[in-house]
Amino acid sequence: MALIKLEDVSKLYGFGDATTLALDGVSLAINKGEFVAVMGPSGCGKSTLLNIMGLLDRPTHGTYKLNNRLVQRLRPPQAAKLRRDTIGFIFQSYNLLPKLTVLENVALPLTYKGMGLTKRLKQASGMLERVGMQSREYFYPSQLSGGQIQCAAIARALVNSPSIIIADEPTGNLDSAGSRLVMELLSEIHKTGNTVIFVTHNPELTRYATRVVYMHDGMIIEDEKTALGQVATTARRQLYSRPRKSVEDDLAGVSLLMNMVEEKDLASESVKTKKSGKSARRIATKRQRSKDETE
Amino acid sequence: MSFSPGHVRTAVLTMRQNRWRSLLTMFGVIVGVASVVTIIGISEGVKNQITNQVNVYSKDVITVSSRAANLNAFGVSSVPAVSTLTPQDVSAIANIRGVKASVPLEILSGQAKGDRIFHGAVVIATNQNLPLVLSQSLAFGTFFNNQDSNTYSAVLGANAATGLFRDSIPLGYSFNWRSQQFVVDGVLNNFSNTLFSNDTLYNNAIFIPINAANQMSLGNRSIYEILVRVTSSRLLPIVDKEINTALLATHSNQHDFTVLLPSQVAESNTGVLNLLTELIIGVAIISLFVGGVGIMNVMLVSVTERMHEIGIRKAVGASNRQILSQFLVEAITVSLIGGIIGIILALVANGAIRSLTNLSPTLNWQIMLIAVAISMGIGIIFGLVPAFRASRKEPIDALRND
Ligand SMILES: Nc1ncnc2c1ncn2[C@@H]1O[C@H](COP(=O)(O)OP(=O)(O)O)[C@@H](O)[C@H]1O
Ligand SMILES: [Mg+2]
Repeated sequence: MALIKLEDVSKLYGFGDATTLALDGVSLAINKGEFVAVMGPSGCGKSTLLNIMGLLDRPTHGTYKLNNRLVQRLRPPQAAKLRRDTIGFIFQSYNLLPKLTVLENVALPLTYKGMGLTKRLKQASGMLERVGMQSREYFYPSQLSGGQIQCAAIARALVNSPSIIIADEPTGNLDSAGSRLVMELLSEIHKTGNTVIFVTHNPELTRYATRVVYMHDGMIIEDEKTALGQVATTARRQLYSRPRKSVEDDLAGVSLLMNMVEEKDLASESVKTKKSGKSARRIATKRQRSKDETE
Repeated sequence: MSFSPGHVRTAVLTMRQNRWRSLLTMFGVIVGVASVVTIIGISEGVKNQITNQVNVYSKDVITVSSRAANLNAFGVSSVPAVSTLTPQDVSAIANIRGVKASVPLEILSGQAKGDRIFHGAVVIATNQNLPLVLSQSLAFGTFFNNQDSNTYSAVLGANAATGLFRDSIPLGYSFNWRSQQFVVDGVLNNFSNTLFSNDTLYNNAIFIPINAANQMSLGNRSIYEILVRVTSSRLLPIVDKEINTALLATHSNQHDFTVLLPSQVAESNTGVLNLLTELIIGVAIISLFVGGVGIMNVMLVSVTERMHEIGIRKAVGASNRQILSQFLVEAITVSLIGGIIGIILALVANGAIRSLTNLSPTLNWQIMLIAVAISMGIGIIFGLVPAFRASRKEPIDALRND
């Protein structure tokens, strides 16, 4: 039975002319123990999907069953309890509190559980040891490297022993060494029986995953099981595909140079079964997307 | 509602990081609490002083005054324009059983000149019972008695004696008042100058026999007060009633006079004080209110500034209530520390007032406890709105807010 079960989930932002359809009828079931990589171009709705799964946001339409319990319309206190006890969230921008030490940051979720000070500091310390950060307990986030901060953030996500770890581009701000550190940690967490869902732009990192989900324009366009240690087939195509002109680009008058920047998107697009009528919108958002990606 | 020590720690941490802002935020509460506590302290202290004074030497004295001398609209006693008390009233009262002695006080205008003019002098025509009724003894000489009460003799209050004459013992010296020469028979001891009593008046007074005044043509005269000493405190209520009955008879049933028991005199004396106290407390409450609004303002800014922090806390599992209490505890901590600083300032002010004036303000723990409670209340009332705003944000909306 699926641990996470999304059915026909949509998310709309804004209203009137400024409406954005960030998720467009997404259905997804994730079983316990899966290590899921979510890929896709910027703005395709990956973060929106993860935020909804992490109970940080609510879907506009559709149902979300977590542990067989409908959670898309939970009252705030119940949602807070689930965030605290069953979900560990890891952000691209780390999101540690700058005024607290690493140890205090890691102990934060335990505070909201009502655990006593000594007990929670001890538990947080143990968790920092597990991520190899015990020597940095009394440092402030500003005194650490990106990789170290993300390790502390992972310790914070793990401290309540949640069954699901959700990581939105956890390696997005890290160099290759930091990336490897973080991915090895997530991999270890996965081996202890946790379900891990993460977003990445780096096809190489699909080696860690057991399943890769590709998104485009708020929809899942490809869902592939892969073997651990191998780059997923679709991701590989994305890695090695050559720049190539598309009919759409001709229509929109996009230069060859722009086309090369957009290569990653096009690779995944080519897999998708094209629906007529959507093309125009895709072209319109393309410029915006390419801008996002250069960030 | 969880009031965890962690919240207090976070609050203190935040305050330390914004020292100046926190101090300015507290300012209104500090001023408000300091003034409320100081004023209540002064007021209570003065009331105690007055009550003690009543107990000491005027506890058996009933004060009769004309209606006009009673409290006016502001609760302030004023000297009457025209008094309704007459010599007939004086003799009527003297005949009542249980009255040990009674004495009229008739305030007369005019400058007195001995060796020099004493501008503070007040000439009071009275009778020989004055020392007995006021329980006051003479420093020098004798008080005029029944026999010489129609001669031009006088007894001086302590200040009047030094004001009129160079000699420290002016017995047998004379002064002029309204072209009449008076000879000094005696000098009264200093009245202890307690608050809101007639002591200052008596110290500055030149007492002359009422019969002497009768012999001069002085035009309009009126009796300011009649003081009545009873033989025993037990008789106070009875004599009070008898005086009322007697005076109603002489005033042809017009109730144009007041008869005040010692306790009531103290009450009417504290009227001014109460009025002042209320006024200043009113101002202080406005200050507390302004302080509260200041706290609310700063908390609202703080909530906006820390929206991202709120988002993070919610993402790791903080509930709305936990966020609410965090910000509420912060507001309460700020106002409470403000209140405590206010109390400390009040203690300093108290010490200063004690050493610089003859007031002795009291600061009891009840007043301080109330001040602490009030400042906590302000924190709660004015912290609630910002705290509520902070708590209601959806986690993702709070996180997006940088
Ligand atoms: N708060 C928001 N208000 C309006 N539009 C939003 C908001 N958040 C995301 N979007 C839009 O929703 C779409 C999906 O965003 P997101 O899930 O962040 O994409 P990704 O994480 O894949 O880059 C984008 O077009 C983005 O502009
Ligand atoms: Mg994203």
